[in-house]
Amino acid sequence: MAKAVGITPTRMELLRLRQRVALAQKGHDLLREKMDALVIEFFGIVRRIRDARVKAMRRLEAAYHALSLCFALQGTIETHQAAREARKELVVDISTRHVMGILVPVFDVRPIERHALARGYSLYATSSALDEASREFEKVLGGLLKLAELEEGARVIALELEKTKRRVNALKYVILPGLKAMVKFISMRLDEMERENFSRLKRIKAMLEARE
Amino acid sequence: MSFKIAVVADGETVTGFALAGVLETHVHVNKEETLAKLDELFASKEVGVVIITHRVAEALGSEFRRRVRVKKLLPAVLRIPDKTGWVPRVDELQEIIRRTVGAEITVKEGG
Repeated sequence: MAKAVGITPTRMELLRLRQRVALAQKGHDLLREKMDALVIEFFGIVRRIRDARVKAMRRLEAAYHALSLCFALQGTIETHQAAREARKELVVDISTRHVMGILVPVFDVRPIERHALARGYSLYATSSALDEASREFEKVLGGLLKLAELEEGARVIALELEKTKRRVNALKYVILPGLKAMVKFISMRLDEMERENFSRLKRIKAMLEARE
Repeated sequence: MSFKIAVVADGETVTGFALAGVLETHVHVNKEETLAKLDELFASKEVGVVIITHRVAEALGSEFRRRVRVKKLLPAVLRIPDKTGWVPRVDELQEIIRRTVGAEITVKEGG
């Protein structure tokens, strides 16, 4: 009963402790529910990541292939030149959503394929391999953005999950047992005091009776 | 709100993404410059996604991982293979799952 050293065994303290136990229990139950919900959410995202990854990686391979072809057919310097000339305008709309009180990013991924004329490099000086490479990379970006959204979401949820798990465990294995031990100590002590009192009264009664 | 996309990679990968119209690009030459660039990108309020190749991420090592750990919600960081298709043996997501859930679950499949 080492944990119960610093407390005064009074009825007041007992009531207060019982309240704290009830509160801790409630907190524990709520956190557990939160944890379960997070786990469900997390595995949903993980499943989606798996699919998105396979798709995005296949696309990416095709894009690298097209780019290599372009380097070969058109020449390295010309391709670099075109990349420098290409109009840089790509933005992505990002909002957030709440999952059990934590913020998870949501990307608004629209198809970002552009018309060849809208890309900004000179069509006269470049070959169709460059158009092909550009188109492939535009296609790939959509999938990559989706993947980035999911992976970031998974990362954030995993961090929160870790934190919640630690809190649940702390409540369950440290705080609740400690409080319960204290409750037990006080109620035992109170019972003990009552018994002492009882025997004292008996003794006094016997003494009073003996005097008469 | 609209955010910029950033790509940090080798020259060829950057060229490809520049053709697609990515606004912020950085070619990885040496560690110091790339880390400085990453600090700038992570601190920026305009950048929403940072795409980085596995090879560059690996070259930056623990300093990159530390920056990812302490960054805010945005920019999101996405690691992709470069044209050689090389990916590190330890999958980051799988590592997270192992740590949080305490079970091995395969996410890989050519990722």
